[in-house]
Amino acid sequence: MKILVADDSSVMRKIVIRTLRQAGFDDHDVVEAENGRDAYDKVGSEKPDLVLSDWNMPEMTGIECLQALRNSGSQVPFGFVTSEGSAEMREKAADAGALFLIAKPFNADSFADALDGILA
Amino acid sequence: MTAPPITELIDAGTVQGIADEVWVAMLGEDEFLVPLPAELPTETVSAWVSVSGPWNGAVVLTCAPATAEELTRFVLQAHPPELLENGDVTDAFGELANVLGGNVKSLLPGPSKLGLPEVGTTPSAGSPVDTCRVDAVWRGHPLSITVQGAAAPVHPERNEVPL
Repeated sequence: MKILVADDSSVMRKIVIRTLRQAGFDDHDVVEAENGRDAYDKVGSEKPDLVLSDWNMPEMTGIECLQALRNSGSQVPFGFVTSEGSAEMREKAADAGALFLIAKPFNADSFADALDGILA
Repeated sequence: MTAPPITELIDAGTVQGIADEVWVAMLGEDEFLVPLPAELPTETVSAWVSVSGPWNGAVVLTCAPATAEELTRFVLQAHPPELLENGDVTDAFGELANVLGGNVKSLLPGPSKLGLPEVGTTPSAGSPVDTCRVDAVWRGHPLSITVQGAAAPVHPERNEVPL
């Protein structure tokens, strides 16, 4: 499977990829995107099986990316990895079609809990 | 609606608890912040994110430039002698402030908006009664985390992320 990791922080993308491996998801291809616009474009070109996206990004936010994808007809599985995990954010994410929201700071267990059943 | 000062919304123990979780998750499971007041050096650098809403201000992480570099090595798990790349310190240091800020924001009255992380000279704080400060030591390095009211009105249009 292919996973698209979207975050404007290169450091955070590295941490997300490292945590994926620590959680046991180490046999998947990973593609990176540096903002929501880049993620939107790469869903089209890379055809990932899952998008893990930050919320708070320049150019296009994560929630705007998800809404644009759904409006374009894409049903790619989409989850957030974000520093804001309030009930309000979780509700907005779910309403837009996100499968889960992992709040930062996270650990391998957070990833395993969210991704088991989604990633084979 | 205007929220009361930060000292009526959050206390230092709560901020310390958030920071403890961030340190363990992002730096390593053996990395702890010891809540000891220690004087910051003359030269410091800060990373912060703004919060705008009923309460306006910023969550600011401040330490010596060398400490910011050391924090980056731990975040990246790139211990010496591996060299850091250009922008790594700004990115990792800013991301620490971003995660601290996101967690603090979730405890404040909403709706509010979180700005993108910035790194530079410590931003001016507002009134002391609108400042919650945690002083701590990490691996012998002093640092501070402040949740500080804005010195001047925050401009919501500059926040790039509408909730």
